[in-house]
Amino acid sequence: MKYISLILSLAVLVIAPFFGEITLNIQEILNSASSSSMLFWEIRFPRVIIAFCSGAILALAGLVFQSVFRNPLTTPFTLGVASGATLGSALAIVFFGGLLFWQYALSFFGALLTVAVLFLLSRSLKSAQTLSLLLVGIALSFFYSAALMVLYYLSDFEQSYSIVRFTMGSLNIVGFDTAYPIVIVSLLFLVSILWQRQPLRLLLTSLDFAFLKGVHVTRLVMSLLLITSLSVAVCVSVVGPIGFVGLIVPHIIKLLYRRSSDTLIFPTFFYGGIFLVACDLVARNLGAASDIPIGVVTSFLGGPFFIYLILHRHKGSR
Amino acid sequence: MLHVADLTAKILKNISFTLKEGKNLTILGNNGSGKTTLARALCHLIPSESIFLEGQKISEIAPHLRSQAINYVPTTLDVYDEYLSVSDYLDLNCLEGGDSRKREEILEVLEIEHLKDSPCQSLSSGESSLLLIAGAMLHRARYTILDEPTANLDQAKKVKIYRLLKSGSYFQNTIIITHDLNLAYKLGYNVLYLEEGSVRFFGSCGDFFDPTHLETCFGNAVQNIGGNFVVNYDEVY
Repeated sequence: MKYISLILSLAVLVIAPFFGEITLNIQEILNSASSSSMLFWEIRFPRVIIAFCSGAILALAGLVFQSVFRNPLTTPFTLGVASGATLGSALAIVFFGGLLFWQYALSFFGALLTVAVLFLLSRSLKSAQTLSLLLVGIALSFFYSAALMVLYYLSDFEQSYSIVRFTMGSLNIVGFDTAYPIVIVSLLFLVSILWQRQPLRLLLTSLDFAFLKGVHVTRLVMSLLLITSLSVAVCVSVVGPIGFVGLIVPHIIKLLYRRSSDTLIFPTFFYGGIFLVACDLVARNLGAASDIPIGVVTSFLGGPFFIYLILHRHKGSR
Repeated sequence: MLHVADLTAKILKNISFTLKEGKNLTILGNNGSGKTTLARALCHLIPSESIFLEGQKISEIAPHLRSQAINYVPTTLDVYDEYLSVSDYLDLNCLEGGDSRKREEILEVLEIEHLKDSPCQSLSSGESSLLLIAGAMLHRARYTILDEPTANLDQAKKVKIYRLLKSGSYFQNTIIITHDLNLAYKLGYNVLYLEEGSVRFFGSCGDFFDPTHLETCFGNAVQNIGGNFVVNYDEVY
């Protein structure tokens, strides 16, 4: 099962840039003067890279949040971190003409503010901590979407359209310039989580247990949340809020591998990336006139598959 | 040396005592009298400024040094990850990386080798208790606090744990919380008896189990029959 999925994944990665509105072949691409070559290197290839890196960040962020908050439903999306980043980006679209710098800066700010609120609350909430946190996250999400409504109301027609397209999630990006930050961030994110693997393993038992084994729990949790939220903020400001990946990919990987979460850091990262590349491949090839928004595809494809896995989880062998 | 200087936290009120090096302790007390709260404060799970280990305030000891000094074993095993196995859990208890030889030995002593590859979440409550004890044996802190280690065990396992504690070969200094008066009596450790968050008695085992003193603590709910303390179900006080 693992080998089959690995081979399939690599195949998806290789063929993804060739298919789209215009199907490309290798000879055309190698001829650097042709328009196909330009389409491949300037649009398709960066797009696949961005899809891979965003999917990887979102999936790994889900795994980290689930482990830290000890709840299978917590992700940067369910806790409102991503909504904070989305609102930040929308603010940048309305007030700063969508300048990339401001989009990054305000996304960061939105995500950080949310994490700070969650963290402060988690210290004052005593029992049933994560459940209350989830409720707080949901409340924050509603608050942010209300603020987003206000933005629609204040903005002109063109800005509204930009925000709507942005919140649907989009991988329409030209050239490598936008790809660099997300590539760098995704690799830094992966390395820093791998770096924390041992303390993360202790957290997977219980917070008390980690504390008794000499882990500086508050510091560890804070740094994990900070790193994760910043990575998600970069991801959201580039491709918009693509939901569901962070929730389902870690669960799919857990059901597939049946190992403790700390050993799944790399698989989650890798298959998270593959999942979004595959969804993007579908999004680009189904729609006749233009691409279907990627967020629609992740939910349409991921939802039923996820339910299928949940229903069959006890039938698989170890 | 473990020194508690006027500890007041949650329900605990003005608790002071000193446990000298090489001395073990049994903490007794009714449900809700603050035994577990005291244990959690001792190992800094509940932050306080009143606990001193070898003369140093526990809040000022670096986390990794504190973990070598004191460990707490809760009543129930809490493992979030559903795929974390018994051997994974035991490895996590070794402060300096896994020691598979030691691990095998302890699994054998507690007769739980067959559970090695099972997920922690699949264990019964008795098996969980044994795993918790095994973990503490591998951790080997200078002070180990065991919270009701025998409560979920069958009779033979209770005897096994008693012998293990008595042998003193796996734990250095032990603090044990229990409701089992027989165990407390046979171990012969100093006794700290808590009542509503305060120390009602702190002294030797012999003094605590003196018949007249015992009656002031438990009325006639406990009977001494041939050197064994038995719950007297007929007598309601």
